[in-house]
Amino acid sequence: MNQADLSKLVSALRIAVKPKPRLFASPEGPAGRLRKLKATVTALVKYERIELNYPRAEEAQGYAERLISDAIRNGDCHKHTMEMADYWLDEKQLIHKLFKVLVPRYKEYNSSYTKLVLGPKTYPGYYAGTAILELKGNPFPALQPATQNYHYWLHNVLLDEAKREFRVAKAESNTNLSEPVASKN
Amino acid sequence: MLRRVVLQTFRQGLAQSFFKRNAASLSESAVTQHPIETSEEASEKSGSKQKNGDESGNTVVVAPPEFRFMYPEFLPDPTMERRNKLKEKLERMDMLQRRSIIEIPEFYTGSIMAVTVADSNSPNKFARFVGICIQRGGSGLQAWFILRNVVDRQGVEILYEMYCPLIQKIEVLRLERRLDESLLYLRDALPEYSTFPFEMEAERRLNNSVVPINPIKVKLRPRPWLERWERQNLQGVEDLNLPQRYYDRAKEVAKPWEKYDLMLQYRKTIPAEEQEKIYAEVHSQLQQQDLKRKIKRRRGPSSEQ
Repeated sequence: MNQADLSKLVSALRIAVKPKPRLFASPEGPAGRLRKLKATVTALVKYERIELNYPRAEEAQGYAERLISDAIRNGDCHKHTMEMADYWLDEKQLIHKLFKVLVPRYKEYNSSYTKLVLGPKTYPGYYAGTAILELKGNPFPALQPATQNYHYWLHNVLLDEAKREFRVAKAESNTNLSEPVASKN
Repeated sequence: MLRRVVLQTFRQGLAQSFFKRNAASLSESAVTQHPIETSEEASEKSGSKQKNGDESGNTVVVAPPEFRFMYPEFLPDPTMERRNKLKEKLERMDMLQRRSIIEIPEFYTGSIMAVTVADSNSPNKFARFVGICIQRGGSGLQAWFILRNVVDRQGVEILYEMYCPLIQKIEVLRLERRLDESLLYLRDALPEYSTFPFEMEAERRLNNSVVPINPIKVKLRPRPWLERWERQNLQGVEDLNLPQRYYDRAKEVAKPWEKYDLMLQYRKTIPAEEQEKIYAEVHSQLQQQDLKRKIKRRRGPSSEQ
């Protein structure tokens, strides 16, 4: 049994975090893994929407969320947060963007700060395919339409009517059940 | 209402973060954020219950921030595969129940403690051991700590499980912290650093609100050692005076990127929101138990008369 580490206070992430990280074998080993993820996180903060392979996107999503949540929790005067931002963002003007643009944007959010959407598989086979990783609130047009259901579509109208009829029938049957009991007493 | 509380507390929170229990780890530098600051205002010296109003007007109980250092075993094991909210809740209930019977005082690695255990094989039926706490770990009812002492020139270490029903009494003779979280290097240090007399009496603390940090630098015996101490970035050890090749090899083998691995840190910690929830749940009962014991201690000598 392990005791939780107390040295840092971290915010809860609002994405699904898997128990084990992906290893991403590279000639440099674990250092290479972090170097590649660093490039992905930098690109995400720079372009706000990137298309890449799904495994890397999922790992980078975790790191990006951690970076933004730390920045929101601690602000830019916190030494450790600044060191992390300095490491994870290769271009130094992006550190300014993180604290001056992204933190105010995401301060009041109750949901995650990034969105991961599955993209096309360019060739057949059993592999995860591409994914599009984007920061929420980006200026581009939405990838998926905002609402899927409109109440004035025919099937929704019919369903709403059916639900109303069911409720009415149920209420009537309840009153029928209670009346004979009352009359007995 | 909430904003005004925050403005009032900022100055006090800053002052108190210097003078209060020095609970923040040596690596943390800045004052912590919003929800924890508001609890620091009213907590003062004894860490009393703080009621904040949230937006709906209901009072929200918040435990003082140093609770996570005083009672680290209430936090669950961060390994995700083993998390189970029901199990953790039941464990916390059992821990509080045990704490209502036995006083398990606040202690840190580096504190000198005395533990009395029920032992059917000893002539007195109790066995008492005094030692310095070199490590503590485990979560929930399996929380443990290791006490080390040198008895008749033989180093002895005993691992005690804090919630074991055989334990009769846990006393803290000297409450202090060291520069490291784990003092396993005392095994390779000169024996005088691990020797404490069994007749040692509990020391009275001059300042109740701050836990002192003992900045002692321990001298190690000549090599061979049990572990490669030069690779562990120890603060509480004197200069190891090793040949340069040891330090070169330590650099080759080091993993400097782990410091920046945010997800690795995340998987080893319980998020702050969860910590607050857990301590808000248990802290009122812990405070009540503490109060009752204080009253008993004050009444004790007078009731005997």
